[in-house]
Amino acid sequence: MRLLLVNQPLKIRETIGNTVKEEVRIKPKQQNKLLLFHKTILNLKSEEEEMKTKLFSIVGLLVVLAMIISACTPTQPATQAPATKAVEQQQPTQPPSQSEAQPSGKKLICVIVPPVENPFFGAMQEIAAKKAEELGYETLKLVHDDDANKQMQLIESCIAKKAAAIILDNAGADATVAAVQKAKDAGIPSFLVDREITKEGVAVAQIVSNNYQGATILAEYFVKLMGEEGNYVELTGRDTDTNAHIRSQGYHDVIDQYPKMKMVAQQTANWSQTEAYSVMETILQAHPDIKGVICGNDTMALGAQAALLAAGRKDVIVVGFDGSDDAIQSIMKGELKATSLQPVAEMATQAAIQADLYIRTGSTGKPEKQSIDMVLITPENACHYKQFAPTGETGPCPTPPSQ
Amino acid sequence: MTTVKASPVQKSHRISRTDLLQFLMYGRAFIALILVVLIFSILSPQFLSAQNMVIMSKHVAQNALLAIGMTFVILTGGIDLSVGSIVGLTAMIAGGLINEGIRLDFLGVIIYPHTWTIIIISLIAGTLMGAINGLVITRFRVAPFIATLGMLYVARGFAGLRNNGYTFANIVGRPEFGNTGFERLGAGSFLGISYSIWIMAVFALIAWFVTTRLPFGRHVYAIGGNERAAELSGVRVNPTKAIVYMISGFCSAMVGLIIASELVAAHPATGETYELNAIAAVVLGGTSLAGGRGGIGGTLIGAFVIGVLGDGLVMLGVSSFWQKVIKGAVIVLAVIIDQAQARMQERIALQQQQEIGASTSRQSTPED
Amino acid sequence: MSLTSTFSSTAMGSMAIGDKVVLRAENITKVFPGTLALDHVTFDVYEGKVNVLVGENGAGKSTLMKILAGAEQPTQGRILLEGKEIRLRNPLDATHYGIGIIYQELNLCPNMSVMDNIFLAREIRGWGSIDRRTQRKIVLQLMKRLEHSIDPDTLVSDLRIGQQQIVEIAKALAQKVRVLIMDEPTSALSAAEVEVLFRVIRELKAQGVSIVYISHKLEELLQIGDYITVLRDGRVVAHAPIEGIDVPWIVERMVGRSLSSVFAREEHQKGDVLLRVEDLTLPRVGGGYLLDHISFELRAGEILGFYGLLGAGRSDMADCLAGRRPEATGRIYLNGKELKSNSVSERLAAGIVLVPEDRQRDGLVPTLSVAHNMLLASLQRYLNRFFLVRRKEGKAVRDLIHDLSIRVANPSQPITSLSGGNQQKVVFAKGLLTTPKILILDEPTRGIDVGAKAEIFEIVNRLARQGFGIIFISSELKEILAISDRIIVMSKGEITGEFRREEATEEKLVAASFVGHTANNHKNENHHQKNGREH
Repeated sequence: MRLLLVNQPLKIRETIGNTVKEEVRIKPKQQNKLLLFHKTILNLKSEEEEMKTKLFSIVGLLVVLAMIISACTPTQPATQAPATKAVEQQQPTQPPSQSEAQPSGKKLICVIVPPVENPFFGAMQEIAAKKAEELGYETLKLVHDDDANKQMQLIESCIAKKAAAIILDNAGADATVAAVQKAKDAGIPSFLVDREITKEGVAVAQIVSNNYQGATILAEYFVKLMGEEGNYVELTGRDTDTNAHIRSQGYHDVIDQYPKMKMVAQQTANWSQTEAYSVMETILQAHPDIKGVICGNDTMALGAQAALLAAGRKDVIVVGFDGSDDAIQSIMKGELKATSLQPVAEMATQAAIQADLYIRTGSTGKPEKQSIDMVLITPENACHYKQFAPTGETGPCPTPPSQ
Repeated sequence: MTTVKASPVQKSHRISRTDLLQFLMYGRAFIALILVVLIFSILSPQFLSAQNMVIMSKHVAQNALLAIGMTFVILTGGIDLSVGSIVGLTAMIAGGLINEGIRLDFLGVIIYPHTWTIIIISLIAGTLMGAINGLVITRFRVAPFIATLGMLYVARGFAGLRNNGYTFANIVGRPEFGNTGFERLGAGSFLGISYSIWIMAVFALIAWFVTTRLPFGRHVYAIGGNERAAELSGVRVNPTKAIVYMISGFCSAMVGLIIASELVAAHPATGETYELNAIAAVVLGGTSLAGGRGGIGGTLIGAFVIGVLGDGLVMLGVSSFWQKVIKGAVIVLAVIIDQAQARMQERIALQQQQEIGASTSRQSTPED
Repeated sequence: MSLTSTFSSTAMGSMAIGDKVVLRAENITKVFPGTLALDHVTFDVYEGKVNVLVGENGAGKSTLMKILAGAEQPTQGRILLEGKEIRLRNPLDATHYGIGIIYQELNLCPNMSVMDNIFLAREIRGWGSIDRRTQRKIVLQLMKRLEHSIDPDTLVSDLRIGQQQIVEIAKALAQKVRVLIMDEPTSALSAAEVEVLFRVIRELKAQGVSIVYISHKLEELLQIGDYITVLRDGRVVAHAPIEGIDVPWIVERMVGRSLSSVFAREEHQKGDVLLRVEDLTLPRVGGGYLLDHISFELRAGEILGFYGLLGAGRSDMADCLAGRRPEATGRIYLNGKELKSNSVSERLAAGIVLVPEDRQRDGLVPTLSVAHNMLLASLQRYLNRFFLVRRKEGKAVRDLIHDLSIRVANPSQPITSLSGGNQQKVVFAKGLLTTPKILILDEPTRGIDVGAKAEIFEIVNRLARQGFGIIFISSELKEILAISDRIIVMSKGEITGEFRREEATEEKLVAASFVGHTANNHKNENHHQKNGREH
């Protein structure tokens, strides 16, 4: 219950349960702004109009006061946190959860991902949210635009909304630690997918693809396609993303064993299809004699492939990483030669399931770091996969038209 | 000697339609803020909670700080596109100083400055970058758009170069170096309100004071209104212009420190596209991009409108694409109204001139 | 002695028979929110004649002209062209009907060349692209007609205001017009250029073009006008053919009372030498000199007039004294001490203040209020420690408003709401608040109505009495002869004549201003008259 002290409209006292929260100033800046606003008007108006301005400003003040009073609606009764015993088993310092039921009566799970123009993150968000809703939660789908600061702000908003859990594909391994810690301190567990953070013990789960394993199997196939020799180009992902480095490392751990495989250029295209297109064009000018291109993800591979086709180079072997539908289509058409499928559906579903388990029982029953193996996609098995998950078909795939 | 009685329409003392319109125009930013708060508090019950208010204010504070610096620049008729990059570069400078210190190989030592020293060095660095902007604009007569655009790229490049694109993680410092406590800037609070909000309040008050009560502030407005006339009135135009860019750099550095401190990490991409939000806040608050019109109060309201709008849409779960559409529409609408207001003010000025002129011809001169 | 009757064709003198009315504004009423700008005004434009329109600022002249030019719509009333009603929805309609207008506030694009400005929106096309050769030829012809040698490719921003006015006139001449409205076309021109313009006007009349001529320069009107209409407070108060009309007649109807003398003069004491200028030189970009080793003196309490043609160098001299031209060389002594400084702020501090020729461009900040404009040059005087004290500011503003009789309802209102005369007074006030020793006034009465002009002269006299040194630059002979204690004439960057007021006459001044302008050799012959006394 909140009390509004009439003679001091700037301070508000808030009682929750048995504890009285400290006085908080509500928008002190607003009060100042009223004064500033009035000063601006008065400077430009003549005497007679000042009176009218005062009248209007009183009206304005009344409106603001009305709003503040309207804010004094009784809050929903706070639901008690589930038994903390199981929680302490896993994370001894976890404070009692403060998640409340949303007005709809359900608990809230925030699903925060990088820009969803990339189907990878789009699918991730959709699948996780769908599973969470299936399990009886309300979801909030948010995008952090790869900006760690914005990510922090989104998490803070989720904290304010008293979310029950956060599913997150983060915006930077180092820069996300503080945000996840903040959520934890507020009693909200975080379930990370796809990208890890550099600290353990803050998130409840970090469910990632085994990027390294996926990179190595792809690189092995790539080497095979290249006949173990020739010039190749590597397009890496965004420098600030750990996965970019892990994949590149995986590629090189395999390829560098073959002395006749020569890397003539290595450039970042920041995961972007358009950037990969123009970078590929430029590199092609400098190195017309390349045989293959290995990319950090599918979107870059598709961009590079388009540039090569535009230049009439159908002979160059291009492989990507992620297993997106676009890439699979391209493989079936005979353009892209291979990709490594991230078990996105699996990861996203697992995140939702484990979140639900944790909320209800205080434990997921699994260790924090979980990595799921990737699958190599080639023309032989491309038709068996859709939306980052196996379709269940087992028949042979049609051979792609020869280029 | 009789005087001719002219009969212009008597100015009524009742509140006429134009008066109402005028009031709405002047107060449009404030009204927008009230509307936005009202709408969101109806649509989302947690919106008006104290906790949410504090969180929103914290988010607004970052943009507001940038916008305060930007207001000075825009008032002189210039623009600063480099604020986001300066945010990133100062974050990297601070993070680097904490994690790596200053390496002096030729002396064989590594200097680890104390936290306060690091903060001061970073603020100076940001101000220096602003000074470079100012120098290029005043001495070499490069248009502000171009000069600060160049700095946008240069500073961002240096931010990446600082650590090869990697983040400075976990910048908590080590007790034996005396450089701990940095995270308190972003995480700490005084009387329940985060430091960043206090910093915004202090900056805003100082900025308001400077623009209204200091000759420097008057000079800024004059330069934006008519640079030649200002110069002829004895205003030292070039130093004043250089200083406003330094102010902007200083504010950007402050924001860089706050973000790095909140994230406890320094990220080279920090602050990307932040200049656009800053400009939006300034414009929304009624400052004209042509210069000479506007003020700090309006900017603050503008920053709150944008911030509350953004956070509110997030709370409602509106798709991020729609958020962009709405934000863009709001900004354009604000400028349209701003121009309508300027036109209305012109017409009122013309009226007053007619009235004054009419009353002059009725008066007699001293010698007769 | 108030005249409220509107014109009726039988009441006033005789019209020449056969004078056709080509354009008529009938019963025009224009209401702005809160004011009645025009009150049932009927205005006739006679074909092939110069129809003069006079009135004080605020009388409604500009509004009426804007309506005729299609830039404003009348609230009531109609416009008849050769007896047939027409609707002018926008300036383009007016152009279509052959109505052209030369505005007082020049409508030129400073970033474009003279030629581009003249043909803006009417470019001559040759095979789709702009035919620059033909355009240039036409511009040169126009310039020859106006007896000016302005290069068609010059950027307008590089021209002096008087030259810009010539370009504006050329622009109108380049169109085919039946009715040409000219709003203060000679405000920045000197006697010689005015003569040229009048010749052009007579030529246009002969071709059947009708002219509407608005001006504050009452003697000029009498020279060129055929019919005169006087507006006051939004009504026509007088209309007559020009024969038999004299200045007092006009003034009486304009202000509703008689003014004994606009140009009041009084004797005052002159003190010691306040300012001494030696060898002031300002090179011109591209060779030659804008100022060629100028030297003169100014005493305290003296009003020193500067006369000359456009481009003579008077405004350049003023700029140099004010500190706007750091590249100038020479020595300036103030009270015996040499001024080493070379920036505007330092010259202001030393006590030299300039009231510029173009107040819109250089004198006022349109976004600031009247008070803020007034205080801009002297802010450091109202400080308490380091912040401004409202009370001190307010007092300074109120004092000056009172001293200079500035008509303003509230000093916080925007400067743009003031009339030209009051705006000029604010610029004065700004300069006076810096407690200068020397005031340089560059065309201080340009574009100002008679009433305000008188007040400005009064102020100038008062300042001289108080011991200020005043440099008064003007292109109006009568004005400069009336106000100055001493007159220096400049031509082509040199001083070509210096006269005490007793010995100065219009002929001598004009002759001196022409030196170096006629044949090529004249300049060399007249060299010995540099810095010379009366010749």
